[in-house]
Amino acid sequence: MNKKLSLSSSLLVSIASVLLFASLFFPWWGMQFIAPQYPEGLDIIVYPNKLEGQIEIINGLNHYIGMKEFSEKNFPELNYLPYIIGGLALLVLGAGWWRRWKGLAATALLYAVGGVLGVYDIHRWLKDFGTNLDPKAPIKIDPFIPPIYGENQIANFITHSYFSTGSFLLGASFLLILWVLWKERKRC
Amino acid sequence: MKKWIPVLSGVTAGFLAATVFFADFNVGTKTAAVDPAVKSNAEKVYVPFGEKDEYYLFASGGHSGQMFIYGVPSMRHIRTVPVFSHDSATGYGWDEHTKELMGGYTWGDLHHPAFSETNGDYDGKWMFATDVGNSRAAVMGLDSFTVRDIIEVPNTSGPHCAAFVTDNTEYIFLPTRFAVPLGSEYASLDEYSEKYRGVMSAVSFDEQTEKLNVAWQVALPPWSYDLSDAGKGISKDWAVLTTYNTEEATTNLEINASQADRDYIVLFNWKELEKMVADGQFDEVNGQKIIFPEKHKGSIYLIPVAKSPHGVDVTPDGKRFIASGKLAPAMTIFSFEKAFAAIENKEFAGERNGIPVLNYESVMEREVNPENALGPLHTQFDDKGMAYTTMFISSEVVKWDPNTGETLDRVAVQYSPGHSVAAEGDTVSPDGKYLIALNKIAKDSYLSVGPSHPESMQLIDISGKMEVIQSAPVNPEPHYAQMIKADKINTFTVYPKDENRPNSVWKQEDTRIERIGDEVHVYGIAMRSKFIFDAKSERPDVIEVNEGDNVVLHLTNIDLDQDITHGFAINMYNLNIEVQPGQTNTLRFKADKAGTYPLYCTNFCSALHQEMTGYLLVKPKK
Repeated sequence: MNKKLSLSSSLLVSIASVLLFASLFFPWWGMQFIAPQYPEGLDIIVYPNKLEGQIEIINGLNHYIGMKEFSEKNFPELNYLPYIIGGLALLVLGAGWWRRWKGLAATALLYAVGGVLGVYDIHRWLKDFGTNLDPKAPIKIDPFIPPIYGENQIANFITHSYFSTGSFLLGASFLLILWVLWKERKRC
Repeated sequence: MKKWIPVLSGVTAGFLAATVFFADFNVGTKTAAVDPAVKSNAEKVYVPFGEKDEYYLFASGGHSGQMFIYGVPSMRHIRTVPVFSHDSATGYGWDEHTKELMGGYTWGDLHHPAFSETNGDYDGKWMFATDVGNSRAAVMGLDSFTVRDIIEVPNTSGPHCAAFVTDNTEYIFLPTRFAVPLGSEYASLDEYSEKYRGVMSAVSFDEQTEKLNVAWQVALPPWSYDLSDAGKGISKDWAVLTTYNTEEATTNLEINASQADRDYIVLFNWKELEKMVADGQFDEVNGQKIIFPEKHKGSIYLIPVAKSPHGVDVTPDGKRFIASGKLAPAMTIFSFEKAFAAIENKEFAGERNGIPVLNYESVMEREVNPENALGPLHTQFDDKGMAYTTMFISSEVVKWDPNTGETLDRVAVQYSPGHSVAAEGDTVSPDGKYLIALNKIAKDSYLSVGPSHPESMQLIDISGKMEVIQSAPVNPEPHYAQMIKADKINTFTVYPKDENRPNSVWKQEDTRIERIGDEVHVYGIAMRSKFIFDAKSERPDVIEVNEGDNVVLHLTNIDLDQDITHGFAINMYNLNIEVQPGQTNTLRFKADKAGTYPLYCTNFCSALHQEMTGYLLVKPKK
């Protein structure tokens, strides 16, 4: 059990690290809002470090139901998330080159915990935005929690929440690590 | 044996009687209603919802001071663009910017729109127009269909014979309809021939600053200039315009300006005139560089033409121009090449008002006289170089071949077409699919609206045998039009959010009301569905001032969303402006009436549009 990971496994782990690092430059998660007046759809696109899409228009519409404004300064995560991901990518790289199965397994565990926390974080925000509605809003609706993934209807809008390129890269990177762990489970 | 005869004849008679009394003889008219020709015409002009028209039609609105925009072939009216007149639909004429553009005038007589051109073809960037009523020129940007600049043209009165644009929009020429003394100074009409002039202005346009500028002028003789066209191809440095009242009559022009058998076409080389100006061959009058043709010779020539001509149109290849007298039955085809040769050889028939006159015979190629066609006014062209001339008096459009003079086709219109416009029909490459007759009278064509009938525009399919396939009523009244392929026009939908734009405010918390002496500056926002003038105030949607204050309101529409336009009006203050998405607009007024005046959004913006209101409170003087 003290043998090192094979060189090819080590390379695969390095690729996993590169994928994770690359995910920084792609959107991770998004939501699209479609209404009769907006057949082309309005988008919120979340990168690890910024928001894109028609945020101001969505904010303009959300004020009718008393939802807080989306803005980059409302999400402190956007300031430090890139560092966490970058750090994790370095850790993965390190684990790959240290070539210890247990080290890699520990990193993967950290990775998984981080992922779960990330998903929980999105959920926390969605809950916060959907349930803390301004009681003086012109249109009263029941508090709601938009899904992290899938379709939902709010007033005249159908929302589609989805994971995007960055998450897929992240997923691929994680699977690659799992694959290496699986492959090397007996050798090491 | 013969018994069957009465029986048979009885049955026959009965059948005949039944047929006469009960048979439906309206079968014929019923089938006419679904005549395949009519049906296919409907299909030709039907643009289903979700699809868009193939062409934009820009029709001058004459004394409405507006431009009407239609889609072709549906002939649906898409937009009225205010140019020279106040327009409460868009708040045009009340905000500071458009008030300044209008320069104190409240109306204009919009004639002869003309697109900017690149290499003799429409480039879809700008649209120019002139105001016969108050001697002005205007330019509209086709990215937002809004007016960018209007200038007054001095020394001139009524640029009807305009605007025509040269090959690469070097100049927009504005020849004038009414002769006046330079600077419109007083001069007795007894001195008409000596002191009056029909000035033509060469106006240049700067695309960067979006400003029009009178580059130079030509003091043509005191005649009336009617229509014009710039050359193309071999004639691209040249232009032609028609003139009447060469009699120099000063009263009752209908009679007195129709006495001479011939009037003239003015032929001029603008490149040479431009050079003359550069060489200092001009006089400076009222701040303008003016060329006097009798003093600074060359570059301008006269060609005799049948009396009182209207249209003069250059063929797409630039080799010929076609003109005719309004009241004459025939059209004349002139040759640029022949004219150039005559000028080269100095083959002049004499001089008129110091300008050389070319021989009619040495410039003319042929006269064309379609049978019983009367009142040829204006000619447009198709993709094969064939000519289409409107016949004002015989109410028809005649298609003919400029190469042979042969009449090819004709179609009746209802009624009295002045101008016509073919798709890109005055460019170097006309499209040849549609032609629209701009009729001066519609008489009995539409539902009645009383004594003043709507005028009409009729769409003619010219791809095969000419046929009127659609007819559209129009606000008074179509004068001239231009038709451009829709894909040449690129509009934007939202003004860019420019945080550095002077007087703009983009965040609710930045809104404020500042007082400097008796001037109150409001930096406010409009958004669905509220106004915020001062976020820190107890009532952010209220402007409170003192009687006599000057109020300057800067309003920014921070809804950066397509089609969310806000309006702003104050009750009983006769004020109404518009802010399009992302736009900042400024309104300045004196709060000279004490009292309580509701203000509100005039442009329906959302479900809560009705709630988008506030108050202007004007505290009375003590």
